[in-house]
Amino acid sequence: MSGSFLRVSIWAYLVIFFLYLLGPLVIMSVTAFNSSAFPRMSPWECLTFQWFDELFRDQRILNGIKNSLIIGAGTVVLSVAMGLAGALMLTQIWPKLRATYYTVIIAPILIPGVVLGISTLVFWDRINRMLGLGADSVLSNGVFLTVIGQSTFIASYCMLVLVARLQRYDVALTEAALDLGATHAQAFRKILLPFMRPAIASAAVLAFLASFENYNTTTFTFGEYPTLTIELAQKVRYGITPSISALAFIIVALTVFFALLNEAKLKRQELVAAVRKNATVEELAGKIKLPSFFAGNAAAVLVVIFAVATITVVGTATAYDPAQCVANVREQKRLEAEQRIQELRQQREEQRKQREAEEAEQGGAQSAPRPSNNSGFGNVFAPNTLGGDSEETQPQSETPPSSNDGFGGAFDPNSLQND
Amino acid sequence: MPKFLKEFFNRNGTGMGLAILGLVLFWTIGLIILPQLSMLDFSFRPNLPPPEIGGPKDVYTLENYKYLIYGPEGGSQDYNAVDLRVFFRTLIAAVCVTIFNLIICYPIAYYLGQSKGSHIRIFAIMLIIPYWINEILRAFALRIIFGETGVLNTLFVGLGIFDTPFDFIRNDIALYAGLGYAYILLMIFPIYNVIESLDHNQIEAARDLGAPWWRIHWRVVIPYAKPGISSGCTMVFMLSAGALAAPQILGGPSSLWFTQLIYQQFNDNNDWPQGAAYAIVLLVTCILFVLAVMRLFKVNMGDIGK
Amino acid sequence: MSAGVGVDLENLWIRFGDFVAVRDANVNINGGDFFSFLGPSGCGKTTILRAVSGFLDPSEGRVLIGGKDMLGIGPNKRPTALIFQNLALFPLMKVWENITFSMEIKGASAAQRRKRADELLDMIALPGQGDKLPSELSGGQRQRVAIARALCAEPDVLLLDEPLSALDLKLRQHMRTELREIQQRVGITFIYITHDQGEALTMSDNIAVMRDGVIDQIATGKTIYNDPNTAFAASFVGENNVFRGKIKQVMGTEAMIATNRSGDLVARISTANQGKMKEGDDAMLFIRPEALAIAPDGATGDHYVTARVKHEEFEGNVFNIFTQGDGGKEIKVSIPNHGQSFQDHTGQSITLEYETQNAVLVPAGELAAE
Repeated sequence: MSGSFLRVSIWAYLVIFFLYLLGPLVIMSVTAFNSSAFPRMSPWECLTFQWFDELFRDQRILNGIKNSLIIGAGTVVLSVAMGLAGALMLTQIWPKLRATYYTVIIAPILIPGVVLGISTLVFWDRINRMLGLGADSVLSNGVFLTVIGQSTFIASYCMLVLVARLQRYDVALTEAALDLGATHAQAFRKILLPFMRPAIASAAVLAFLASFENYNTTTFTFGEYPTLTIELAQKVRYGITPSISALAFIIVALTVFFALLNEAKLKRQELVAAVRKNATVEELAGKIKLPSFFAGNAAAVLVVIFAVATITVVGTATAYDPAQCVANVREQKRLEAEQRIQELRQQREEQRKQREAEEAEQGGAQSAPRPSNNSGFGNVFAPNTLGGDSEETQPQSETPPSSNDGFGGAFDPNSLQND
Repeated sequence: MPKFLKEFFNRNGTGMGLAILGLVLFWTIGLIILPQLSMLDFSFRPNLPPPEIGGPKDVYTLENYKYLIYGPEGGSQDYNAVDLRVFFRTLIAAVCVTIFNLIICYPIAYYLGQSKGSHIRIFAIMLIIPYWINEILRAFALRIIFGETGVLNTLFVGLGIFDTPFDFIRNDIALYAGLGYAYILLMIFPIYNVIESLDHNQIEAARDLGAPWWRIHWRVVIPYAKPGISSGCTMVFMLSAGALAAPQILGGPSSLWFTQLIYQQFNDNNDWPQGAAYAIVLLVTCILFVLAVMRLFKVNMGDIGK
Repeated sequence: MSAGVGVDLENLWIRFGDFVAVRDANVNINGGDFFSFLGPSGCGKTTILRAVSGFLDPSEGRVLIGGKDMLGIGPNKRPTALIFQNLALFPLMKVWENITFSMEIKGASAAQRRKRADELLDMIALPGQGDKLPSELSGGQRQRVAIARALCAEPDVLLLDEPLSALDLKLRQHMRTELREIQQRVGITFIYITHDQGEALTMSDNIAVMRDGVIDQIATGKTIYNDPNTAFAASFVGENNVFRGKIKQVMGTEAMIATNRSGDLVARISTANQGKMKEGDDAMLFIRPEALAIAPDGATGDHYVTARVKHEEFEGNVFNIFTQGDGGKEIKVSIPNHGQSFQDHTGQSITLEYETQNAVLVPAGELAAE
């Protein structure tokens, strides 16, 4: 009785937890396909792909992606190299220095990113001045500063990943290679590096993702080279549109795809290893019959389903035209809006009369009484729902109209004229 | 040459040894230690235009720190109430976010750590995926949900729970949910790693002896998982206290986070030394706080990051 | 067959901080010898091996290979190849790549390497196994791959660090013969590290017995067995019965000691200690189990020992009799089984005899741990 109750509550908790974790991503992804100009799930207007179109025409986003890739590549190289060196040093450092050294190289994980960004900026600015270089030197270049700043702490993550594998490395392997005539560099390249390869790959992926999504450090160091994250932050702060959802959807889809692909690969390696283990000499020497890619590999099947789904969606997107639906919705909204405006005019008239009456009574009362019911209005009269492209002209309007009683937008002439 | 260095080069070869040593020194000294010292130094200097730097006016001063406490010289108030309030609010909120995260993550970490089966791997992937999505986008997703016309308000108003949309953003609920959301993985993984190594027989034995489930956790699992818990809490506290994206996107118009003040000093006021001083205050306070809590719970620094 | 390249250790000291791992070792290993360092774990024998292969620098003294001082020459430049205790096969390389790693380093083509790998695989009786991974081989097969890999480097000296310790008994005995055969075929110097006296005795031309960083004795296996220098060498190599006492009288190459339980006994003084032992010295007398025989009842004298039988064992080729000996230690007597009728003596008191030349007297010293 209590056992099954416990099990049910565990599962209920898991469901709630993962809803909290994944729900926002799903909702955000879905809003990318709603034609509503404010990213939302309900009311659902029309299925549209226009936000993807808009995204791909946004020069700042494209430029941000380019900068992110450049900076990401630099950060991967620098932080994996430093992380590996740091891990190697950790395994052989003089024991008395070990604890101090570990604290120093682990500290950047705990130092707030803002602090890292500032210290990087301040320090290299000073170096720059000491060397007598101008404001356009390499040392004050946004790419350089960002790579340096990000690598400071990303290298710590890499170090943790690498040292975990390094601890399972048998130093005798390097010694055996040296003993057989290899130089230290050859032993490193031919023995240690192949052994570390899975961990290096993980560290590189981790470093790239950390670099790609970093905001706190980059926001101080990017200079002339805003990364995608910086551009996104600017957009989100000054006006959210579903094209951000579209970008989010692409990133979510890519992430899920690669996670599945990785899982499928791991599963396959396990299966292959199991087969090899049982293989006879002849099978190994000749052709060994490996299990087909999909046998016993659910993740691989999912990857393929995923790919097919993507192709279908892209195919639909090119053929599908939501213009009629959008026009319908727009017409309907226009009618509703007109009706509301009429109502509002009346209401305002009444209010005015009422206020005049009150002023006559009390005299000098400043604030208008808050309309008793504005719940339905917020949706419709948020200006961006009416004006499809009004974002550009009205950067402040995406802020939920909390400071202006929910009506502010409705009386903004722009919003109606755009329609 | 010290014996340690000699052995190091013997073991790694001269070329490889120099490469390793060079990278490590560049990282530890060039990227970690010197920039922090440089920032510390900078925070004690006045804000001068570039030509005057190094000039006669460039002397050490406590002005930047005084500013945090007393506000601008000749200001109307005795204390810099705005900045100080933001500072303490940030710390307290970060503690709350950490506790909230610990409470929701511990059961998950325990479940993942002690269950066997292939579905655990799927759960692990589901846990990691949100972490791979951009920090800004994660905040954006919550913004969509918590917005005045967002999913939650539509739902609650639709169900008749609220009459009017609730302003989650203004009430900072969105901010706390966002901060908690952002660092879930950093809380789960350290705890999971420790609990995974806990021999399930210990729990069985405790159960065998008639201990109720909460006592098993209190007396067996939690003491064992302490390094993981402290590691997770430290990371979440430091990261939420130092968060910038979530407060910028999910914070209401008036709810400033201390990092936002630093950001303003740097980008809007162009007062780098002042910003550096604030950054130092944040860093030092957070470190002291973490060390104090770690001492209180008797945890070692070496457990962090495991 | 060439004479091979010899290895010399001259006044070799190796210290780690305050700990002395090797103390003043002087060893001459002839070219083409199968030479073993024999001692319990922690005696410093692996340290010596690492100094010869170049992973450790001597604190004092010299390591010479082929008469050439090796100081400052790294392991990759020395004409040695080491077979590691855990073999250290490269786990990600196939067997043939493992074997010909030294050729890869020198830039040999894949075809050359495969050809050489096939030759070596034939030699170690693993034909056609080149495409497996080391993890897919059995313990004995891995062992042979490690040997092939070391031989492929064509070293002048092959160093082996307890390579058989991970194998089971049967395989270990088989590999002993095989290693010896390989050594005789290739004709290079083998330096072998082991704590197993059986391995050392069966394979080696010469053995160095080590204890706590000190080399007690360097000699052939036969000499060490029959004529040990020290109490440690006598007790570590093969089974031995010990009798403690003070020297009562020295008679040329023989001496008589007074024991507490067994009365006065006479024995040959070990060769290295002749002329160095004098009356009143503490001494130890060692008699091998097979050197003792049951004497007629009532026989007494300085090569008779009386003892009570605790229990007996039949081992097939020998009968073992365990009696209460000196200082609580058992005395073991092994009587060869010639098919004679054998009477059970358990509980009885019997008299044992030995020939003086089969009992060895050395200065009292530390015994090997059981």
